[in-house]
This record gives sequence, C-alpha cells and structure tokens, in this order.
Amino acid sequence: MILIYALMSGLLFGLGLIISGMSNPAKVIGFLDITGQWDPSLAFVMLGAISVAFLPFKLAKSRSTTFTGQALQLPCIQTIDLKFILGSITFGIGWGLAGYCPGPALNSVLTGYFEPVLFVISILSGMGIFEILKKIRPPI
Amino acid sequence: MKPKKGDVNWRLISIIGLMISPIIYALLKPLPEITITASYWEILIAGLLVGIGTRFGSGCTSGHGICGISRLSIRSVVATIYFTLAGVVTVFITRHLL
Repeated sequence: MILIYALMSGLLFGLGLIISGMSNPAKVIGFLDITGQWDPSLAFVMLGAISVAFLPFKLAKSRSTTFTGQALQLPCIQTIDLKFILGSITFGIGWGLAGYCPGPALNSVLTGYFEPVLFVISILSGMGIFEILKKIRPPI
Repeated sequence: MKPKKGDVNWRLISIIGLMISPIIYALLKPLPEITITASYWEILIAGLLVGIGTRFGSGCTSGHGICGISRLSIRSVVATIYFTLAGVVTVFITRHLL
C-alpha cells in the first residue's frame, strides 16, 4: 500500500511541477532574474505549495506514525553552521546556472531532452564527491 | 543519513512517479514547451554544484523551500534565503555581466 501512495505522491508532485512551469528552466531563470524581465509567478507556486502543505505537516507533528503505519520521521536537526550555509549557497549557484533543481530535472528525464539527463548524472556525481569529501575530512 | 532497508523501495517508487508524470500528462494534452538556455558545460557544472550543495545544505527547493517552510523550520527558512539569493546573484552575473 505504501508503494502505491509513494507512486501517487511522485506523480502528483511531477504533474504540479509541469503545470506550474517549475520544470521549465527558462521560467525558473526568469524568476531569479530580478534585474531583467522578472517573472514573479514562481513565488506564488511556492506560496501555494506551502499553504497547502502547512496543515498536513501540522497534523503530522502531532502523530507518531503515518497513515500507513510506518514510524513518522520528520527532520529534527536545527544546527545552522557554516557548512550548511555554504552548502545552500552552492546549491543556489547551480540552480541559477542551469535553471534546474533536482525535482524538475528528474521530472524531465523522460521527456526527450538530453540536458536533464546530464544534469541528474551530474547531481549523482556531486553527491559522490560529497561522500568522498566527508571521508577525507569527517568533521568539516 | 543512511536510509533504513524498507525506506529505499518507496523512495525509488516515488521518484519513478515523478519521472513518468510527463508521460501521463502527455496522454491528456501536449506537454508545455520548455526552454533550456544553459550549455552542456553549464549543465554539467551546475549539476555537480547542486549535488554537493544539497548534501552539505541538507535540502533543495522542495525539501527546504516547500516542506521545511511548511513545517516552520528556521533552518529551512535560512537555507531558502541563501539559495535564492545565490541563484539571483548567479543569474545576474551570467545574464547581465558576462
């Protein structure tokens, strides 16, 4: 049952990305291009998504298991250190450079374009580099 | 951050759902046009930065921007501000300065 819910949520997320235009890199770059022809519409996508997700997350906080019976795992780390901030900035540079973030890229892998495929392979390589960095200097 | 045994399957399945959603969409109506302006080199470098950054920063646009802010996590608000600012600066440099 959990697999069906997982499939449905992946599908719903993907359809949302397509309909909202998040899966179009030109639209994402238009959103980040505040000094050019700024397209603020993605801010409304984010606000819309947050307002829909707010109540279910509130409900989740008061429960210990999911509706399918698994242990509910919500992030509990609250540390904001330099590593965390530099990581977020690094992600933002990549996002602005390509107009892609992980969700939309995965969403476009099967649409016939080569770029999202290359991007996803690159993300996986970047995660591999992270693992190597972590081994060399564990407490960065 | 190692996923537990039973967690791998549903995660993979949800990613498959994300990947096949354009196919489902295309059955009903034509997919909207997308425009990719970045070169292959830019895509390659951007992917590496996104891969490394999301691991060090523990999340991305969906994880921090949508789920984290919905949970009222200060950490996610901070991450969202930093990655959006970094994206804005990057677009300014690549589209207006270079």
